[in-house]
Amino acid sequence: MLSLTKKLFLCFIFCSVLSGYAVADEDEEEPLAASLSLSPEICITSADEETCNTEVVLGWELLHDRPICILSDYKELKKWCNSSPDVNSLAVNISANKDIQFVMIDKDTHETLAGVKLKVTQASSPQVRRRYRNPWSLF
Amino acid sequence: MHYLLALILSISFLTTTAHASNSSEGCDNNSGCIEVGRWDIGIALGYGEKSNPLKDFDDIPLYAIPTIAYYGDQWFFDNGNIGYTLTEGENYTINLVGTFSTDRAFFYRWDPSNIFLLKGNSVERATTRGPTIMAASSEPEIDTSELANRNFTYLGGAEAFLYTRFGIVKASVAHDLFNVHNGTEAQLKWLYNIPLDSWNFEFAAVLDWKSEQVVDYYYGIRPSESPYWSEMYQAESALNQSIEFTGQYVLTENWNLLLVARYTDIADAIVDSPLVEKDYTTTYFVGAAYRF
Repeated sequence: MLSLTKKLFLCFIFCSVLSGYAVADEDEEEPLAASLSLSPEICITSADEETCNTEVVLGWELLHDRPICILSDYKELKKWCNSSPDVNSLAVNISANKDIQFVMIDKDTHETLAGVKLKVTQASSPQVRRRYRNPWSLF
Repeated sequence: MHYLLALILSISFLTTTAHASNSSEGCDNNSGCIEVGRWDIGIALGYGEKSNPLKDFDDIPLYAIPTIAYYGDQWFFDNGNIGYTLTEGENYTINLVGTFSTDRAFFYRWDPSNIFLLKGNSVERATTRGPTIMAASSEPEIDTSELANRNFTYLGGAEAFLYTRFGIVKASVAHDLFNVHNGTEAQLKWLYNIPLDSWNFEFAAVLDWKSEQVVDYYYGIRPSESPYWSEMYQAESALNQSIEFTGQYVLTENWNLLLVARYTDIADAIVDSPLVEKDYTTTYFVGAAYRF
């Protein structure tokens, strides 16, 4: 007859195996139905210019071909749609002084498929401090 | 002191049209600020002269003035001065600072004071006037070529700045760190910065106090130099008075035109030394400055 300690030990091992199996099962995620990428993702403006002027390229991959639309809060690209499976990127000229959010949706169902953000950031101004001596002092 | 008073009064009139630079606004070559973590290196080329009040010593022609500075978050190096900012506010700064005396520069070419004031010739004794000081027909001579060394030393102390609408006031006190003369120096300085378009004018009035030990070390006479004068001249603490002017005109981001002038009224306690023949010293420089 098994002692109480051994019973508890076997129970612990059994439960551990079950829980490990359960976790492994949860980790097996289905491939994403769609992905959206952006290049570059960050636009750094100069210290004295607040506007970011650059060309960004949106790229996407779809698990199943379907018509999509890309929406954004950028004034020049409110909505852009595509039904061709041969097109999987879009170049956009950007002139902005704040972040831009891009979202890819299913054109027919309006289901949100993926999203990316262009981050517009200003280069930090160099830190300055008081100078305590005249650089051309003649002592 | 009359010229100090006149300077202060005349500049006071300008306060209605200009304001004191408090350094935080912008940071170009014309303002009193510096970029943290970046070396500021420059050189001014032109011509000037620093008069030498010592007997038998030549005036010092100036052809180039270098400038080199580096400011960290709290530490700074500025043309030979090393400092550490203890505390700073909108209207004040308190630093620990290491600096050096300017008196030795009259005796030696390679004194640090002269490194930041490059010149064509060394601080040489004038040969046309003979190698000795003729103090008086009945008094013994001092052979200036046989003077004992006046050694270099570094002074350590503290300085405080007050930033007001009437200019910047600086007060400092520093003591000999290497037991060379064990003396103390103190300074009270008022300066006023007037930026006008591409011009920048800086006026300053300075009181430099030197303890008896400092005066005695540089201007006193050792018994080995002259037993007579070592008895006759007894050094005392001294208060020099100076006015300074720096004018700059911005040509480009890197080039400035530069005019620098300084007049120092030497204290009687120093002028009484048999080594000194003038009761003032002047310095001027006109040239073009380039900041790298």
